[in-house]
Formats: sequence, C-alpha cells, structure tokens
Amino acid sequence: MWGELGRWWPSIFLGGGKMEFKNFSLAISQTKVARFADDLAAGKIMSTSCKKCGKKYYPPRADCSACMNSEMEWSPLKGEGKLATFTKIYVPPEHFAIRQPLMPFSSVQFEPCPVGIIEVEGGLRIMGWMPKIDLKKIKIGMKLKAIPQVLPDGKVTIVLEII
Amino acid sequence: MRKVAIVGIGHGKFGVRSDASLRELTFEAVKACLDDAGVPLKEVESMVTGIAGDEFSIALQPSAQVHDYIGFHPKPNFRVEGACATGSMAVRTGWMNVASGLADLVLVVGVEKMTEVPTSMATDIMGRGGDATWEYPFGTTFPGYYAMIANAHMAEFGTKEEQLAMVAVKNHHYGSLNPYAHMQKKIDLEKAMSSFTVAHPLKLFDCSLITDGAAAILLASEERAKAISKKPVWFAGLSLATDTMRITERESFTSIRASREAAKTAYKMAGVKPSDIDVATVHDCFTIAEIVAYEDLGFCEQGEGGKLIEAKETYVGGKIPVNVDGGLKSKGHPLGATGVSMAVEISKQLRGEAGERQVKNAEIGLTHNVGGTGQVVAIHIFRRG
Repeated sequence: MWGELGRWWPSIFLGGGKMEFKNFSLAISQTKVARFADDLAAGKIMSTSCKKCGKKYYPPRADCSACMNSEMEWSPLKGEGKLATFTKIYVPPEHFAIRQPLMPFSSVQFEPCPVGIIEVEGGLRIMGWMPKIDLKKIKIGMKLKAIPQVLPDGKVTIVLEII
Repeated sequence: MRKVAIVGIGHGKFGVRSDASLRELTFEAVKACLDDAGVPLKEVESMVTGIAGDEFSIALQPSAQVHDYIGFHPKPNFRVEGACATGSMAVRTGWMNVASGLADLVLVVGVEKMTEVPTSMATDIMGRGGDATWEYPFGTTFPGYYAMIANAHMAEFGTKEEQLAMVAVKNHHYGSLNPYAHMQKKIDLEKAMSSFTVAHPLKLFDCSLITDGAAAILLASEERAKAISKKPVWFAGLSLATDTMRITERESFTSIRASREAAKTAYKMAGVKPSDIDVATVHDCFTIAEIVAYEDLGFCEQGEGGKLIEAKETYVGGKIPVNVDGGLKSKGHPLGATGVSMAVEISKQLRGEAGERQVKNAEIGLTHNVGGTGQVVAIHIFRRG
C-alpha cells in the first residue's frame, strides 16, 4: 500500500525535516488535548464536545469558549463530507523543504501533494493531505473521507480519500 | 474623544535592503516624517512601533533598537503586533494615545527587515502565522491559505485566474510609478499568467513580496495639527475586528469576516458609505485578497470582485481607485511597515501630492490591513482637512 504514497511520504516525513508528525504530536503533547495524537495512531479522529452546552470542537479543545466550561466529552468523528476548499503548495515552508547541508537525507526531494479541508458532521471541518488524488480531478464539493494514516516509520497524519 | 490628524509622513525605499539595518531603515522614515511635519523629535511626546516578527530580526525587543537609534529615550515607546496588520495596529494605537488626551504629538513607526533570513525560512515563519499547532503540520503557507480562498471563490462565483492576474498587472503598473516601491516594473497579463505556481492556483505574480522597509507618520491633536500643518489629514473612522485563528473554522472561505465587521463599524464612525470613498489601499498580500477586499469593503457586490478589476474600475479614473501606490503586490510587504505605508499613501492622495498616481480631488480615503489569514483586520478612514 505504500507504493503510491512512498513517493511523497519519505520526502516530507522521513527526509530529516523537523516538522514530522512527531512534531505535530509534540506540539500538542504539553496540552490538555494530548491524547488526540494517540487516538489518531489508533485510527480515530477525535473531537470534543462541551458537556454543558453541547458545542462541538475539531480540532479538539479542552475548554468551551461558548460557555466557559471545561468538562468535555471525547468522541470519534466519522469524518465523511464534502470538500470545502483545497490547494497544492509548490513552494513549501522550510520544515518541509529539503535543505542542504542541514538535512541528513538531502538527496530526497520534496514532492508537493494537494491539501484540502472537508466539512464533516456537525459543521466541523478537517484538514488533510490528498496524496492519492490528482489535482486536475479535485472538485470543490466532492465527497471525501478523512482517514488517519500511519506512516512506515510509525508517524501519523490525516489523509483525505475519495469515498 | 479628541480629533486626531496626520501632520507628517515619511517613507523609506522598500526593497531588498541589504545596505541597511532595521534601525537604519527606521531612521530614514522617521527623518523624512519629521522633516515633512517640520517638527523636531524633542517635541514628540510618545512613540508607537509596529514590528511583526522577532523571528525576522532575531531579537527579543527590536523596538528598543529602533527607539534607541533615533534617540527617543527616555520617552515612552510602545510596541504592537498583529502579523501583517501590525502597521495599522500601530497607527490605531498612536491615534488612541492622542484621542484619549494622553499625548498631543505621537510618532508612529512601522518597520520590518525580512530578507536577512532565507526565503524558505520567511515562508516558514509566516506559515506559522496560521495555526502553528493544528494547520502548519499540513504544510500550510500563506500562499497556500489564500490559494484555498481563491479556489473557493473561483468555484462559487466563477472568478477567473486571468482576473487575479489583472490585479497584479494594475498594481505593478502603479508600482512602476512609485519611487518607493520594491518592484518598479510593469508586467503584462501574459507574464503574470505564465509565472510558476506557488500554491495552486496562485502564481508567482499573484503573491506580494518579501520586503525590507519602514514608514512613519506623526499624529497630532486638533490644536497642534492646525498649528503644524497646512494640510492635516484627519482620522474620521477606525475599526478593528477579529476572527478565528484557524481557517478551518471560518464561516466563509470566500470572504474575510473581520473585514466586513471592521468596515461596518468604520463606515458608521466616519458617517460615510463605500461609494463615498475616493481612494483606498487594501490588503493585497495576494491578488485574490484584493478581489475579496473589494467585496468585503462594499466597493462591489459579493462575487463581483473579478468583474470590477476586469472593467478597470479600480484604476485611477475608475469607480474606486485601489492600491494606486502599487499595493503590497508591487510596493512590497514589510509586515510591520505595511499599515503605516498605507496611511502615508492615503495622506499623499488627500494632500494632492501623489503625482502621476493622483486621484483627482480625493477627499476621503480608506486603508484596509489584514493580519494573518483574517485573524485581525484594521480599517481606517481619513478625511482631507
């Protein structure tokens, strides 16, 4: 299953760039929603909802800004919905670009991949990579599913795939 | 609240300024501003400095470098930050100082030196001005965010890539007439359309520039303004509005809600309608952003922005001339300086000193400055004295 993905995963996530998913989880490891990364690794995209007023949050939040309550309930999202918008970034930020001589695998080149936002249940929106979808075939409104993706090296991210 | 006017304007050359430091760039603009006002620095009571990124200057308090170098100590200097809207937030903070009666003469400085770091790092720093925790892991960059707005706008309203390019052609045209602009060269539609893709569908010429530069204005209370300046430019309406950190949580991908909110309040405060505005500088960090700004500011109906530029209505002589200084697109976008530069340009227009770019008999001008992807928007409306 890594045949097609293999072309771009290593360049972004294994190529020595600092912004691997591990960093994504590190960025939330010292937060009250740290479990999100573990749930993602277990195949679930989790949201939180306020136990008091019911407001739903994705990305998950530990505190409800609608009623200032901090008792939240965690629940998995089905993650299916329509594509709200997308792009394909050809000029990447530094963490995703392979720079010499700082990067250990400098022969690996960055290959751009489309990224999109889908609107799922409860009006929530999920951002994800679209490695398997050709840019020319992407249409706003197309139905997609957000899926956690464990990479060969154990790191995790979210991809959007055609249902 | 007291009336406040701009009584002095100063603008340094925007560009890749490897010949000057952050503090030296500031000095150029401040000197020009004080000379324009005919006021010595020792009479200025307080100062506001807009610098967006410590990351660009690799210093914890770049504003101290600035106040030190112009010799402002021991008087107060107050730094503000709001990403790309930093400059307008500095202008607003300066206005607050004078309007409240705290001071009669306040210097507002906006400066940024962005090219000391490599372009990829600058892209990185700005990309994390989105949501560094939740969106940046998907490789988002600023062109990427606005590309998502462009794709949504094109799908919903049929806006064309050519119409985006037309914004670039206009702004480069006016940039070629602005001696302070970073890129003083005209481009044609074909050149804009054939440039490489930065983030689909945005091409190189859809993107503003990574620029070094500084701008300064001197603000005065009514009494002082009348004594200092023959052509004071009065603040008529100001507004600041905010929106969600994450673009995924916006109510719309085809409009900047904070722009609409700020516009409503600023028009109300000034007692004017969009059709009363004679000239505007809007936040064209990307060409799509200018088209969305036309709509959010009420210069046309929602979805009609592409047609407005296609009909050349935003050129001098059109319905509403926009960014006739070259805009961020061609003049350049040194984050902290941009909002102050906008105020300088509108002041020139209202003073009738814009030369070849002059909008005939301009009385009311507007500046529109967006921070980030729309997390904060500052709008100011000015009237000729």
